[in-house]
Amino acid sequence: MYLLKNALVSISRNRGRNILIGIIILVIASSSSISLSIRESASKLVTSYIDKYNIEATISMNRQNLIGSFEPGNNNFENNIQKFNEIESITEEQIIDYGTSDYVKDYYYTYNLSMNSSTLEKATEEIESNSDFSFDKGGRFGGIKNERMGQGDFTILGYSSYQSMSDFISGKYTITQGEVSDDFTSDSCILNEELATLNNISVGDEVTLVDPNHEESTYTVTVTGIFSEKDSSDNEPMSMFSNSVNTIITNTHVISEIILGSEDIRTNLNPTFILTGQDVIDSFTEEVKEKGLDDFYQITTNLETIELGTKSIQNVSSFATTFLILTLIIGGVVLFILNLINVRERKYEIGVLRTIGMKKQYVMIQFVFELFIVSFVALLLGAGIGSVSSLPVSNQLLKSEINSSHLEQENIEQNFKGDNFSKNDGPGRRENPFSNMNGVMKLEEITSINAIVDFEILMKLLGIGILLTLVSSISATIAISRFSPITILKERS
Amino acid sequence: MSILELKNVSYRYKDGNNYVLNNISYSFDKGKTYAIRGRSGSGKTTLLSLISGLERYEEGNILFNHMELNHIDLDYYRNTNVGIVFQSFNLLPHLTAIENIILSMDISKVHVPNKKKKAIELLEKVGLNEEIGNRRVLKLSGGEQQRVAIARSLSYDPEIILADEPTGNLDHETEDEIMEILINLAHKEKKCVVIVTHSSNVANQVDVIYELKKNK
Repeated sequence: MYLLKNALVSISRNRGRNILIGIIILVIASSSSISLSIRESASKLVTSYIDKYNIEATISMNRQNLIGSFEPGNNNFENNIQKFNEIESITEEQIIDYGTSDYVKDYYYTYNLSMNSSTLEKATEEIESNSDFSFDKGGRFGGIKNERMGQGDFTILGYSSYQSMSDFISGKYTITQGEVSDDFTSDSCILNEELATLNNISVGDEVTLVDPNHEESTYTVTVTGIFSEKDSSDNEPMSMFSNSVNTIITNTHVISEIILGSEDIRTNLNPTFILTGQDVIDSFTEEVKEKGLDDFYQITTNLETIELGTKSIQNVSSFATTFLILTLIIGGVVLFILNLINVRERKYEIGVLRTIGMKKQYVMIQFVFELFIVSFVALLLGAGIGSVSSLPVSNQLLKSEINSSHLEQENIEQNFKGDNFSKNDGPGRRENPFSNMNGVMKLEEITSINAIVDFEILMKLLGIGILLTLVSSISATIAISRFSPITILKERS
Repeated sequence: MSILELKNVSYRYKDGNNYVLNNISYSFDKGKTYAIRGRSGSGKTTLLSLISGLERYEEGNILFNHMELNHIDLDYYRNTNVGIVFQSFNLLPHLTAIENIILSMDISKVHVPNKKKKAIELLEKVGLNEEIGNRRVLKLSGGEQQRVAIARSLSYDPEIILADEPTGNLDHETEDEIMEILINLAHKEKKCVVIVTHSSNVANQVDVIYELKKNK
């Protein structure tokens, strides 16, 4: 108790020095408080941002492995194509098996294939051509296996759930008549309203799909809804029809049935697994590989795309971290030196205290108490200053970071396109293809940080204060432990 | 019975080859005053440092109540068994006389109901009053400061009082007053008072004189 009392007396006696130490700690505390609140808020924001967007894993071709397996040279072209075609397609059973993983929150998949129809005329912008090739508006290739998908007039898309119907979720497609059946095992479909109008089809009508390779193989579905496609940047600007005009949307059950009836029909299967979090990506990939996913396939996720949106805020957070570390190092060194000077100046006092029997460790504790009391007061003030200024400072930093990011993006655009993109603001304006670069997000860019000094930050500040006190007290304690009281008093005499 | 006994104590500084003290054997009893005299450099203050536990000896034995001084906690020894009075007083200048005494009681963990009252009593014992006790020590005269130092050394009621040239900075009249206090402590309160001095006046007033010769 008397140590604390002595510490308070000493603080009051050495006001000048303690005010200087207090100011230094105040600066450290306010900068640390600002840096910590920026870091914490940025971290929370990034986490919630990533949480907001599900971590979706898909299976795609591992082109590197694929190319690696090819034999070089034009003479081997046929062999390579054959090798490519021999790669086992992903099956629905595999998708369901992978979907049972503990790392998967949910999963869905889409099938697509190409078919003709005996009840529908394809929407085409060419009058008639002898050529086998006409400009197909509905072509949707890609996915797991880029096979030659027959030569059907229509693209048949089969969804496993509402969740998998991303174009409806995003608002690109909207139902204008009827509905999307909630029975994903029913023989139902929905059509583009342009196709429906051209063919005079309405809700309740039946559509017969025909295997382009085997005309006797047919499948009939009932139209439950008509949808329209919103004009978007994906649409060809000079086209009469929307991209989805020749797309017939159904469910995976219908496609499975079609496959059963037409064994050699080519399909694309696109699974999407919604993972439980970003931390399970590697585990899920490992599990899927263990379950037999071919080396020609790989797991890809949308994490990178999601993280792009947080690039600016992560830069601000890194800056805050660097600033925090520098502040602590410089502050710690300054405090260390000040304490050393303090102890040397109070050598006589230490000598007297030791002479009248005060133990070394008690003298050290008294010095630590003094520094801790000053630190504590300065930390409280610093936390107050930090809480007031962290919000504007962090948002100013973020604003500068976004501006610099935009500037960098504009420079990249200039490298590719000159002024074409930025000036193209009229009707039919194309979306800026560079908008995903440099963290200027296409999704939703983070434009503000709600940096606040909360209890957690206060605790961290207290931790920093204790750490700084202890580190800077090292000089005092080392000096005290080396002082001999009799030497001090002799020197004074 | 000796409270403090020195047996063949020799001492040399770590960085020196010559002995400052060589084979010293003294004994000190309660209720007596002792003077250790000697010329400058004869090792008087070094001897006091060893007796007070401020430095450790390497040769010989110093026994406090038959216990080897090197084997006991010297901080405890200094704040419980021995009171030290210096020529330059060694009071804390930023504290008042009373605060200096109370601090010493705190360090010694003395349990008294009212430490301030006890401090004032001690000051009165050495001829000072409360008003002086409430002054910062820097505002006191040399004689007053030395009285405060004696009062501080009595704050935990030690058995031994060691005084290193206690009157060295004081005039003749004050010297006598301080000596009276110290002699009274020995004779009336049965303390063992050891005074290091080169003053004949001081030496003449004590019960036993030990003469230190250079290196002896």
